[in-house]
Amino acid sequence: MTQERFIDLVRVEQEPLRRFLLALCNGNAALADDIAQDALVRAYVASGSFLGLSKFSTWLFRIAYNCYIDNCRKARLDEAPVEAALAVPSDDSSDGSFRYQQLYLALEKLPEKEKASIALFYFEDRSIKEISTILGIPSGTVKYHLSMGRTHLKQYIQL
Amino acid sequence: MKEIDEFLRENKPAVQDDPTFLMETRRRMKEVDGIKAEVDRQRSRGRVALIVTLVAGLALGVLVTALAFLYPVDASSVGEGLWEGFRAFLDTWKQYLIYPVAAIAVTLSLVLTLGGKKAAQL
Repeated sequence: MTQERFIDLVRVEQEPLRRFLLALCNGNAALADDIAQDALVRAYVASGSFLGLSKFSTWLFRIAYNCYIDNCRKARLDEAPVEAALAVPSDDSSDGSFRYQQLYLALEKLPEKEKASIALFYFEDRSIKEISTILGIPSGTVKYHLSMGRTHLKQYIQL
Repeated sequence: MKEIDEFLRENKPAVQDDPTFLMETRRRMKEVDGIKAEVDRQRSRGRVALIVTLVAGLALGVLVTALAFLYPVDASSVGEGLWEGFRAFLDTWKQYLIYPVAAIAVTLSLVLTLGGKKAAQL
């Protein structure tokens, strides 16, 4: 795959990819973008091995998720404080900002697989099958994580 | 559950538009291309070196075989001469033979001891 072709594909996918990572990083945009850049470099290096068996975006999201997991292992993101979520920049009204804070604080409490399933299903409108490919788990397990994620979020978010 | 569904769908995280993001991606991809080119160069150099070595080895082998056929030598006399020379060498220097043997023994014991310690640490 040429650099230009790759950039063209990335141009389309960059926003959903960054949004997915932003949700995983609990609103920490700088960290999310760093991981996204890492993922894109990895994808570019491995672009020769992309056979087109799945959609480019699914393949890219899978690489991004693996990068995120690697980053968690390195930085122990799970135990990171929640300042990022509390300092969510928002152009919206204060009510909107509060909702984002609530969302990120709630997402932070979820286990990784639940958070990723929720982010992909609700924020990226991915099908169960696609989520299963991206996370590398069976469809039934994705449904279970979604159900558990919803239950947990209901406890954490005041509606 | 429906409320949570609605809340999540209505509050997708907002990504701030960042024009430098793709520029940074391009810059990193150029770096990757540079590294790829360097790795390819190193590989091709290694391949050339391997081929040169193979050709040189083959040529040397052919040369030695040709010389062996052109100038035949009685191998047994050479062998006997070597053995006699070795025995004469030992006779002359046998009083010093203990030193290299001792040095080898000490080195081996050190290597084995340190190797054992490293294995235990792992």
